[in-house]
Amino acid sequence: MTIPHKILPWLIFMIVAPLCVLAQTSSDLDLRALIREVEDQYTGKSSHALMTMQVRTEHWQRSLKMEAWSRGRDRFLVRILEPAKERGVATLKNDREVWNYLPKVDRTIKIPPSMMGGAWMGSHITNNDLVKQSHIDQDYDFSLLEQTPDFWRIEGLPKPEAAVVWGKIVYQIGRADRVPQRIAYFDEDMAMVREIIFDKVQTVEARRLPMRMTVQPLDKPEEQTLLEYEQIAFDVSLPENFFSLRNLKRR
Amino acid sequence: MLLSLALRNIWRNKRRTLLTVSAMVVSSALLILALGIFSGMLNDMLAAATEQYRGHLVISMPGYQQDREIFNSFVPDFVLQEELDKDPDVLGVSPRLRGFGLLSHGQNTYPAELLGIRPRRERQVTNLGKHLTAGRYPTEEAADAALLGRGLAQKLGVEPGDELVFVTQAADGSIGNDLLTVTGIFATGDTTHDNSLVLVPLAWLQKVMVLEGKVHEIALRIHRPSEASVLADRLTALLPGQLRIVTWGSLMPELQEAILSFDASRLIVAVILYLATGLGILNTVYMSVMERTREFGVLMAIGMRTWQIRLLVLSETLVMGLLSLIAGCSLGALMTLYMQQVGIDLSRHLTPITYAGSTILPRLHAVNEVGNYLLPAVMLLIIALLAGWLPARRAAKLQPADALREE
Amino acid sequence: MDILTLAWKNVWRNRRRSLITLTALSLSLMLMQGFHNLAVGSYARMIDSGVRAGSGHIALYRGDYNRSRDEALTYAATDLLKQLSTVTEVANVLPRIYLPGLAQSSRESRGILLTGIAPADEAAVNPFLRQLEAGSLLNSSEGRGALLGSRLASELKLSVGNKLVITVQNRRGDLTSELFRIRGIVHTGLRDVDHSLVMVGLDKAASMGGFPGEIHELALILKRAASVSEVMPELTALLRQSPVHTVAWDIAMPNLANSIKLDYASQKFIFAIMLLIVTIGVVNTMLMSVMERVREFGIILAVGASPGRLFRMILAEGLVLGTLSVVAGSLLGSLLTWYLVDHGIDLRRLMPQSMEFGGVIFDPVLRATWDLPWMAKISLYLLGLALAATIYPAIKAARLAPAEAMRHV
Repeated sequence: MTIPHKILPWLIFMIVAPLCVLAQTSSDLDLRALIREVEDQYTGKSSHALMTMQVRTEHWQRSLKMEAWSRGRDRFLVRILEPAKERGVATLKNDREVWNYLPKVDRTIKIPPSMMGGAWMGSHITNNDLVKQSHIDQDYDFSLLEQTPDFWRIEGLPKPEAAVVWGKIVYQIGRADRVPQRIAYFDEDMAMVREIIFDKVQTVEARRLPMRMTVQPLDKPEEQTLLEYEQIAFDVSLPENFFSLRNLKRR
Repeated sequence: MLLSLALRNIWRNKRRTLLTVSAMVVSSALLILALGIFSGMLNDMLAAATEQYRGHLVISMPGYQQDREIFNSFVPDFVLQEELDKDPDVLGVSPRLRGFGLLSHGQNTYPAELLGIRPRRERQVTNLGKHLTAGRYPTEEAADAALLGRGLAQKLGVEPGDELVFVTQAADGSIGNDLLTVTGIFATGDTTHDNSLVLVPLAWLQKVMVLEGKVHEIALRIHRPSEASVLADRLTALLPGQLRIVTWGSLMPELQEAILSFDASRLIVAVILYLATGLGILNTVYMSVMERTREFGVLMAIGMRTWQIRLLVLSETLVMGLLSLIAGCSLGALMTLYMQQVGIDLSRHLTPITYAGSTILPRLHAVNEVGNYLLPAVMLLIIALLAGWLPARRAAKLQPADALREE
Repeated sequence: MDILTLAWKNVWRNRRRSLITLTALSLSLMLMQGFHNLAVGSYARMIDSGVRAGSGHIALYRGDYNRSRDEALTYAATDLLKQLSTVTEVANVLPRIYLPGLAQSSRESRGILLTGIAPADEAAVNPFLRQLEAGSLLNSSEGRGALLGSRLASELKLSVGNKLVITVQNRRGDLTSELFRIRGIVHTGLRDVDHSLVMVGLDKAASMGGFPGEIHELALILKRAASVSEVMPELTALLRQSPVHTVAWDIAMPNLANSIKLDYASQKFIFAIMLLIVTIGVVNTMLMSVMERVREFGIILAVGASPGRLFRMILAEGLVLGTLSVVAGSLLGSLLTWYLVDHGIDLRRLMPQSMEFGGVIFDPVLRATWDLPWMAKISLYLLGLALAATIYPAIKAARLAPAEAMRHV
């Protein structure tokens, strides 16, 4: 079973993406609030996005074009548009259940929680990443490491009892628009395991969003996942039964 | 002259000869049977491990057997396959592709190991066809037939005729998926296989995994599994490029060690049996020669020399010994043959059991092996000769008058 | 009585022959007794370690947990524990919880079986934990300490002191994740176990699973393995009102039970062969002894003894021989057993460190156990066989026609 070397581009992105209030800087920097801002903004919202994901591994590389919808943290639907061979392959998360639809054989399969270590859509995102709720602001204690005119570097150390695998996460967030520039993940021995780099910041619906993120596993420098948004819209209205099996199967 | 005297002596006292010979015959036959049973148990252990799944020898790229990396595949050489087919020591050659993924039916999804095979060839290497509990072994023509283990079938809730969905990460990174139809279900007693192994058509799997024309390994079944490493050395010369050949012993080191230790413990029992048999023969032959001390006294009195007496006895014992051995080996062979073909089936009382990662079937059966005849035969002959020698020597040493007076 | 005296004298007339036969018989008996006791000793040890790491001599489950392993089948055990303390034959009671889940480190994730244990009780009993030093054991039932199987730890690239996250699905269907820290690494030698074992405190596991205070299994370790049949009815009575019921070890761990049965079956077969071989020797001996006394018997019969009496005399000789052999053999067998109990046979040079048989790790040092009932039984068998072996020669003797017999050379 492949492992999440790479990060959960998806979810992290969704957390970071609807970076809401570009509240103009208040001189007081409440770190936890900053991180929470990022997260809270996501809660309760819905979204619709078009994105491409390029994955490069030791043995192959490929490019996927996907369309995604989400409501809150509990429901999302992702559908592959390209390549043609996989057009229509879709993943649905509905509360606690995760389903995959395979158009070639016209079947849906249910991924049980015990298999949440498995890879999603052939990428290095795992089903577990999709299902798991992220409470970064609650699980970590934050301190400001460094402050330059450009960015804040904030260190998050996990609370003693937090159920997280990392030893430390370091955020580098741009001061001008409160957009993350890079996030580094360290294991318990403080060795960096992976890094995500954000760029291509644009304004979407009055928010500043990095439209591209690159996930780099440090023990495999030749491997990489690139996730780039082509379009994204927030607070879209979605019909009640949007996140359903029937909708999963539509091409 | 002595020889004809020996023969006449044997013939003269039919009863004594018969007694002695029959004792030796039955004892040696039973010993041979017991050794055959041991060989049978050993064979069962080895067969269960190798003939259900792994084969005796496996050809693959270096490192494949350790990590089962799907990218470590190769294109099977036609020339190589031909050479292997022709080799007299090789009984079966089966190219295989291996993939891991999820199998789903209805609401149930479980991880599985899929082995892409060509049924006709695979049947000559492994014998899952003998462990079917439902349905049939896939045929060569069935394009999407699946044969899966009972544990997995139960968890998925399928029976022959049902459909399965397979999803995996293909070799090009894409999501490989396709449908399978269950043709049969097997139960080996080995939970690893029963809970996760599925046999599927090679071409089907190659397509799903985007590894057309490639395989991960070629599994071989050979004539003499205990000499696998010898054959492996010979076949290495045929292998092109980087391919390596691995024996079952390296694939399953615990099994190999288990067999060695089993050998050790059966050695203990064999020794006990040899002792018992040896004592029996010793008893019989010694007795029959001792009895004749008086007779030897007569012979010595009429002029026979001591060395002639000893030689006489030796010849008699030798002739009887050889006769007994031939008869004993034949009888032993017969009984072993029965146990080999029929055996005692204990499966009503016992289920298959695990031993060092292999499984043993609950039955007593034997295997005919040359070693089981040669060693007992030689040993018993030596014991018999010894048993005859000692009293003869003793008698020959006596003064004829004393010998004559013995009862 | 005088038949016996006569028989005794007859036996010793041909001292050499009788001694050889005696030797053969008694040595065989000695070997059989020694080997059997050795085997029984090995079985006992296998069972002992198997039940301690597994489901105990008797396991208490709810419903058909034994077969289905359905996590929903939990039960509260506090009352039971009190009641069980009154059953004298029960030495230890080990509560357990089993939850399938996912273990994650910063580099890898693996499917595991989360096992909740009562740390102090388990450490005292479970052979898997014996190899760990005191500092490496779990010290709390609710704490965040965890013990990992050796292969699992290396696959997750973790060692003692590192942290990991375990995720299970609780009763309500939600996924629960908790942080744990590795206190020790367990190497059982059983591949499956080393790949998937994570041991944590019982209460911690229960709260993660969403069933605080409940367990899946109570493993009862008895003072003597043989007392299973005694204790069962007592337990069944205790549990009459409850959804919990007993399962004996040979049903809960069929792999172990069957491997012992198979080994024992082959032992019986081999012994049967041995007894046959030995019997043939006896028949032979007695026949020869009869044959050489044909003339003498002829005289005895002619003088007026009944064939029946002759028959009984020969039989008595067999009895004497048999009894002597059995006594000598049992003595030797006891000596051999005594040695094997004290010193045993060390197969360590010939066997791998830890080898699995029947799902249990096989101890490479074989030690015997006294199985007196069996020893007595086999002695009687041998005696019986010796007697039976004498029947044919005795019949031959009794059937002799006196006149012809006397003329025999």
